[in-house]
Amino acid sequence: MKKQYNITELNSGFDQLGYILDEELATIVFLMLHLQKPLLLEGNPGVGKTEVANILARFLGTELIRLQCYEGLDVHSAVYEWNYQKQLLSIKIQESSQKSDMEKENHIFSEDFLMQRPLLQSITQTTAPPVLLIDEIDRADEEFEAYLLELLSAFQISIPEMGTIKATHKPYVILTSNRTRELSDALKRRCLYHWVDFPSLEKEMQIVHKHLPHIEHHLLERVVGLVQEVRQQKLEKTPGIAETIDWARALEALGFKDGSQEKSLGCLLKSTKDIAKVKAQGMEQITLGV
Amino acid sequence: MHLDKAGNYNSLSEAIVGFSQYVRLEGLNVGIKECQEALLAAQIGTIDNPNVFGYALKSIFCSSQEEGELFDLLFRRFWLKEAMIAGKTTYKNQTNIQKQSPASLVWMGVGEQQEEQKEEEGQNVSGANAIERLRKTDFSKISDMDSTLVEELAMQLWQQMAKRLKRKLKQSHSKGPIDLRKTIRKSIGNGGDPIRLIRKNKIPRKQRLVILLDVSGSMDKYSFFLLRFICALRTYFETVEAFLFSTNLIRITDYLDATDLGLTLQLLSAKAHNWSSGTKIGDCFQTFNEHYAKQVLVGQSTTIVLSDGLDTGDIDVLVEELGKIKRRTRRLIWLNPLKGMEGYEPTQRAMSAALPSLDVFHSAHNLNSLLELENYLLHV
Repeated sequence: MKKQYNITELNSGFDQLGYILDEELATIVFLMLHLQKPLLLEGNPGVGKTEVANILARFLGTELIRLQCYEGLDVHSAVYEWNYQKQLLSIKIQESSQKSDMEKENHIFSEDFLMQRPLLQSITQTTAPPVLLIDEIDRADEEFEAYLLELLSAFQISIPEMGTIKATHKPYVILTSNRTRELSDALKRRCLYHWVDFPSLEKEMQIVHKHLPHIEHHLLERVVGLVQEVRQQKLEKTPGIAETIDWARALEALGFKDGSQEKSLGCLLKSTKDIAKVKAQGMEQITLGV
Repeated sequence: MHLDKAGNYNSLSEAIVGFSQYVRLEGLNVGIKECQEALLAAQIGTIDNPNVFGYALKSIFCSSQEEGELFDLLFRRFWLKEAMIAGKTTYKNQTNIQKQSPASLVWMGVGEQQEEQKEEEGQNVSGANAIERLRKTDFSKISDMDSTLVEELAMQLWQQMAKRLKRKLKQSHSKGPIDLRKTIRKSIGNGGDPIRLIRKNKIPRKQRLVILLDVSGSMDKYSFFLLRFICALRTYFETVEAFLFSTNLIRITDYLDATDLGLTLQLLSAKAHNWSSGTKIGDCFQTFNEHYAKQVLVGQSTTIVLSDGLDTGDIDVLVEELGKIKRRTRRLIWLNPLKGMEGYEPTQRAMSAALPSLDVFHSAHNLNSLLELENYLLHV
């Protein structure tokens, strides 16, 4: 019987691994572990959706299997593929053997010739249930989304040549989406849903502090405060938490001198227009002051 | 008994069931499965803390950010005895089909006194048969008599075009990479020698079409036909996103699905308040870029702007926003009905400023000119 965690344990466990869970997300992760339902995380880029899966895998001490979605992702690169080169060779080798055609066919469609892709891997783990991360599902096509439905509800995969493979351990599934398009209702209904928002000032300070333990408190507050202010503006690309951390790192490396925040703005903003806009608003006036 | 308060139920599980019924009535998509899961969630200990319980139910009941906000409200109202706030919320879809306003009459092609036009130039083309003549007639000069004829012809031709486009797309991708799976399957009979190579059909790339139609006053005479044109394209392209703009921008994609074109037009006119008013192209494009571009302009998309370029807004904004669209889309086409006029030069400030960003600048004043669009759509 595997261990059942409660919400406080989750909170402190994630905290030790360097991820700040708020109460809401902790509750949802708790539910996900107990109900064994997939979890769909939606939110802007850079708010730490993918990281939830990484940390969860480390927390549970299991493997993380990751499937990065893209337009045109198909079953062969997501579920399984036969090893054709090996099959061709095997047919040649068996040419002179006395086996019947039927036996030959069975041989080349056996497990030795099957290349497991992430989704198949995730349900054939023998030791413990892995964490399956399906990243940026909104980038995949609708067809693929439909295919996922079978996996997510029954946790089984059918291979015509071999039959149906049932999950030995139900994986913990986390899907992430940047909401570039709406996902289908059918998929959403099979998942727990959580919208990941940009963190509050306090939470973001905690997060940055996790990554930069030696930073002084007032500097931390300034840096994060600046980022939060920048986020309020209409930008082409709103900076995420990763950018905040990068920027704080850069500033630390530059010694928090006056003017360094302007030079290192490229860590935070990834478009010339945004940089010009923020600079024009008198960013240099806000000195970091050591 | 009022069932919208937790205190009115006898037991906790009843209250949870009652709550799921309550939120269902208020518009959330909650079924039996969700209700069971909610009970289960309560059982495994989330019930101890009201916040935690709320978060748990939220993740089970909601499937978007907006639903989450609604849920918070309902949750507080049901469980935390919060007073009702000024009557019921009105998030349920309200599709009031209003009486036909003057605007809708314009849509329907009637009303809007057309000046008595005597014999038009189109009708004087000597020797040409009727269809040829209609195909070449400028939309703004079609008389009431001819308009139904032209509509029919237009629908026919456009549908043919859309069909042709679809077929050509399929054919052009016939030679794909070798399908090893099938090849090996077939070769077993030959003792494993892959004699016949079987090729994969390339999956035709989904053509995404994004159309921005100008419905300002100056476009009145054209927009009716152009909208029908969009509807025709919609029939054959799976992903068409359409927007109307004049002083502000509205997304009309959902309305195009209606099978009855008349109804579509009615619905649209009810939505387009500022129909036939001035034009602020730049501002509208800005709205488009802010709210829709990220969702709509992904992958392989072609953007078509249908407008005469008579702009009353800020030119700089237009140029900048058009540039943004250009960067996101694969091909930017501007169709301008005025271009069909003899001696027309794109000299209005807006149009000449926009020209450098365009891939294609074409006329859209009669049927033939719209049919020529086929060539551009094919070579995307």
